[in-house]
Amino acid sequence: MNKTAKKISRRSVLKLLAGGSLSAALGAPTFALARSRRYAKLADTFRCIGCKRCMSACQRWNELEMDRYELITDRNTDLTANSWVVVNLRADSQNTTKRHYQHWACQHCERPACAGVCPVTAIRKLPEGPVVINENKCIGCRYCYQACPFKIPRFDFAKRVTRKCHLCYNRTPLLNYMKPACVAACPVGALAFDYKDEIVKEVHRRVQRLKQPSYILGLTEAGGTDMITILPAKPKNMGLVVAPNKVVNHTLDKIRISASGFMAASVIAGGMYFYSKPTKNRDAGLGSE
Amino acid sequence: MELKRRIGVIIVCGIPAIVGSGLLWDLSEKWSTVYGYLFLLAATLLVFLLAPQMKAKLKQGLQAVESSPRFYVWLSVLAAFILLAGYALVASLVLSMEILEFSLQIPWATLVSSYTWLVVAGSGLCIINALGGVFGMHRYEMMSKRIVFLSLTTIMFGLMFILFHLGRPERMPIQNAISPNFRSAIAWMGMLYNIYLVIVVVELWLLIRADLAERAEQAEGWKRDILRLLALKDLNDSRLGGILQKMRLDRLLYHPRLHRILDDPRLPRITATMAFITGVAALTMLGSVFAHAEARALWYGPYYPIYFLVSALFTGYGVLLAATIITYRVKGEEMSSESKALMFEMAQVLALLLAVGFALTSYRLVTGLLDPLRQGPTLFILKGPLSPAFWIFEVGLMSVLPSFILLRAAKKKSLGGVLAGSLMVLVGAFVMRYLFLVGGQIYPNVFPRLSPDLPTILPSYMPTITEVFLIVGIFSGFLLAYTLGEKFLPLKEEGPEHA
Repeated sequence: MNKTAKKISRRSVLKLLAGGSLSAALGAPTFALARSRRYAKLADTFRCIGCKRCMSACQRWNELEMDRYELITDRNTDLTANSWVVVNLRADSQNTTKRHYQHWACQHCERPACAGVCPVTAIRKLPEGPVVINENKCIGCRYCYQACPFKIPRFDFAKRVTRKCHLCYNRTPLLNYMKPACVAACPVGALAFDYKDEIVKEVHRRVQRLKQPSYILGLTEAGGTDMITILPAKPKNMGLVVAPNKVVNHTLDKIRISASGFMAASVIAGGMYFYSKPTKNRDAGLGSE
Repeated sequence: MELKRRIGVIIVCGIPAIVGSGLLWDLSEKWSTVYGYLFLLAATLLVFLLAPQMKAKLKQGLQAVESSPRFYVWLSVLAAFILLAGYALVASLVLSMEILEFSLQIPWATLVSSYTWLVVAGSGLCIINALGGVFGMHRYEMMSKRIVFLSLTTIMFGLMFILFHLGRPERMPIQNAISPNFRSAIAWMGMLYNIYLVIVVVELWLLIRADLAERAEQAEGWKRDILRLLALKDLNDSRLGGILQKMRLDRLLYHPRLHRILDDPRLPRITATMAFITGVAALTMLGSVFAHAEARALWYGPYYPIYFLVSALFTGYGVLLAATIITYRVKGEEMSSESKALMFEMAQVLALLLAVGFALTSYRLVTGLLDPLRQGPTLFILKGPLSPAFWIFEVGLMSVLPSFILLRAAKKKSLGGVLAGSLMVLVGAFVMRYLFLVGGQIYPNVFPRLSPDLPTILPSYMPTITEVFLIVGIFSGFLLAYTLGEKFLPLKEEGPEHA
């Protein structure tokens, strides 16, 4: 009796094979399978002292041209094609007396909207975490900027391609576990880089130790990001442009929107049919006369 | 005649000298290059004056200018604008692309808005052509050559805008072919418009093929051969036919099966249907380019693909009415009564479409005021710094005024009124596209502020002079293409006796 129960039938093997391949094709994307070796970056606004070493380290490692903004400290700096990381002095709109230096760069979304809209697939989410623009492929259409919920990618007018932080993907997978340039340059531990699980644990540890109101940016925004920031207040109160708490630019949503256009087109075609119908008979009558 | 001769001399010598040396000075900032250029120009002129054969040609050219100065002045003005656009392009390559579209916060600016204006109008013309070609309305069928030619040129020159807007246009065809992203609306739009252009070229060729063959019979020598080749007629007795035979192209070009397909009476209707389907699909994907961007509250949602279809129809009608009436006026020809009746009917349809478009806009604004996510951008459109563009141009000049003018003109049978109304629609629609594009990018994109209690700083944008040169140059290229097409192709409406 037991023998028959344990016997694996051919049908069940086939079912398993079909189900396995189907779930591999449709189901979890590659980056979710590789969750264990995914990295993340942490920016702690409470620890940052505003020395801006991360900015210059980034420009040195990535061989970016020095901007005119870089000479000015504590100025309201915006990201450019040559400064992929900025540090700004910001205040909470509820509590304006205290100001914080805040590190801002590409958030490396788990489901990046920019990669979904790039017409030539120049943007990719690597399994290790970084969202990388292939500058040899980019055609410079700037659609990624329009789609990005954080408004990060910047167009380089000299190179004529879009550029942004790539989490030093050309540095971290090297041997000896080198950290990204900005993290390695931070003198106070306001930036950290590790496996994502470790970073999430570290964030909660730091927030518990703070004993003052704080907000963790990156756990749910845009369906989760691989850069996590500890902010003193909600991002809206800090004057940041951030994503809603859901996956942005979902493929099904795109299909829904385009389908509305096709439906309207069929309505218009129907209207054209009714516009042409009575007069067509008249034309035919004229022809026969 | 003395004045006309002077105009001719100015056209032949003046414009290249003035515009060319100005551009050269700006690019090189050295007077020596300018002197060198002027010397070369003078040397060419001397050759023309001294060599007797060349002198005769110069005289011929001047006589041609004298016989129709208006045409040549028009051509030279267009050529000057195209030259300026060429300068803008070269300067953007030599200096930096920043001189074309400098803004980081508003990366899609006037080039893209002009692109949407022209290409959406071209797609609308494709839909209008389907009334004749697919649904079999005879009145529209007699205009189909002009409609198809206008649709082809608008979309071709519209795509030129996007080509120069791209940072790396040379990579686009290669990368779009080897690694397209099927989740991206831009990739779909590019593919569909390219397919559409091919189909439209075939459609236009089918429409003018008989006329080309007719002209070939009247022409002589190599002109006749080329016209016969273009019409795919028999070439066996000529030199060109021999060359084709040597290259073994004749088997392909004169294959009986190919000719059986080409002579099939159903073929024009099939191509028109294919053009209609690809054109509408491409237009929907163009609307989706904006509607997919969830980070832009004003653009996001299923509304814009629908509005792009409706606005395509009214801008298409506007372009068609304006181009037809202006062509007849400039040529000084009298329109046939059928064509006139069609113009007034189209004016009424245009007024109806404007009303539909206005209803859609009002719906969008009212729902936008109720939606917490879109309240900000809607108020920005209604009350922000760009609100005059909305109230004066989009509401007044594009929707309300022309509807009344067109209906009145159709009632009073005045072609001038129809022309005025359709031009108003076109100008209003141009500003509407600009407002939609730039306004949509300004709103959520405030600069990161030092402190949120400080007033919001909006990103500023103003077209640069080189950008204006490029845009005007591409529009001039479109007008030049239409002028030459009108002169050399049989675009005139055919009465019932021809059809």
